[in-house]
Amino acid sequence: MADGASGRMRSPLGQVTGLGSAKDGTSHWWAQRLTAVALVPLAGWLVIAALAQPDLGYATVHAWLARPVDAFLAALCVVVLAVHSSLGTAVIVEDYVHGRAAKLLTLIALRFAHVLIGAAGVFAILRLSMGTLGS
Amino acid sequence: MAEFKLPANSKVNKHGRVFKAPDGAKHVRRFRIYRYDPDSGENPRIDTYELDMDSCGPMVLDALIKIKNEIDPTLTFRRSCREGICGSCAMNIDGHNGLACICASDDIDGDVRISPLPHRPVVKDLVPDLTDFYAQYASIKPWLQTRTPAPPDRERLQSKADQQKVDRPSACILCACCSTSCPSYWWNSDRYLGPAALLAAYRWIVDSRDEATGERLDELEDPFRLYRCHTIMNCTEACPKDLNPAQAIGEIKQMLVRRRY
Repeated sequence: MADGASGRMRSPLGQVTGLGSAKDGTSHWWAQRLTAVALVPLAGWLVIAALAQPDLGYATVHAWLARPVDAFLAALCVVVLAVHSSLGTAVIVEDYVHGRAAKLLTLIALRFAHVLIGAAGVFAILRLSMGTLGS
Repeated sequence: MAEFKLPANSKVNKHGRVFKAPDGAKHVRRFRIYRYDPDSGENPRIDTYELDMDSCGPMVLDALIKIKNEIDPTLTFRRSCREGICGSCAMNIDGHNGLACICASDDIDGDVRISPLPHRPVVKDLVPDLTDFYAQYASIKPWLQTRTPAPPDRERLQSKADQQKVDRPSACILCACCSTSCPSYWWNSDRYLGPAALLAAYRWIVDSRDEATGERLDELEDPFRLYRCHTIMNCTEACPKDLNPAQAIGEIKQMLVRRRY
């Protein structure tokens, strides 16, 4: 959108057409739905498997995540969750944050934060899974 | 940030005028109506009109016309057909967007609260500024686009089944009840086209005679123009013609996925 006085003098149709279509958005929308569908079984498994543990102390979780399938599913869940959250929070920011600079900075910060959280989660699971107890 | 509060000059004053019902009126109802006059320099207020319903027509528009004719000629609103086909008298009645001419006063409990369509600049009283809304409609090119010349001896043919696809979306009267009920449109109407314009776009996308389907989808494929729709479905709830803009938008999204795979 044009801003300021030039925006007000522009015709209404010129303002609506603005910078044109981004010809994008479908990948984002589709990925958000696919990750949502993937999270139904993944998150369900995570909750049920965690509740099935006798406690959530270090030793128990270590033993749990030492099993390759459980470690793999937990890591997958963290990655899909991070992607889904990254997509979803970006939509919220686009909805409500309107200053051009504030919007861009928030979107960049959120993207970085989600990569960080996803990578840290996977690293932690790998370390628990492959490390020896007490290391 | 999105504006969740009204600007200072749009806040509604507590003290509106009250017009009492005539003596001897038996069946009195109160109409509480949003009033704003930009020339006065004053903030908006809510005026209360007590009407004798024994001498008033059944619809909310009848009451508005009675007020304007008999009580307060300064009350400003749009109206034309009085039968739900022109879309002029779209306003917020008892918290719902609708057409005053096909909304019965008896269907409303308590005082009848009337305000302009939400989240548009107010020109005066119940008249919203719909300039951007009409520009959004124009932007989707609401006309048949073809490259094949029309047959010289007859119209472009279309099967009955294909005609039925455009029957319902063609019934949109552009009253703006749907778009102005949509939170996504409230926060981003400068870039989101809104349900009415998207329903109109859908009407031409599914028209079997149109040859610009791909270009139409290209123009809509945008994080703001189309994808601000979060399936809130206020649009379908609000539509006084019982149309389904939410479904049309959903089908546009499906088409955008379908053409990829």
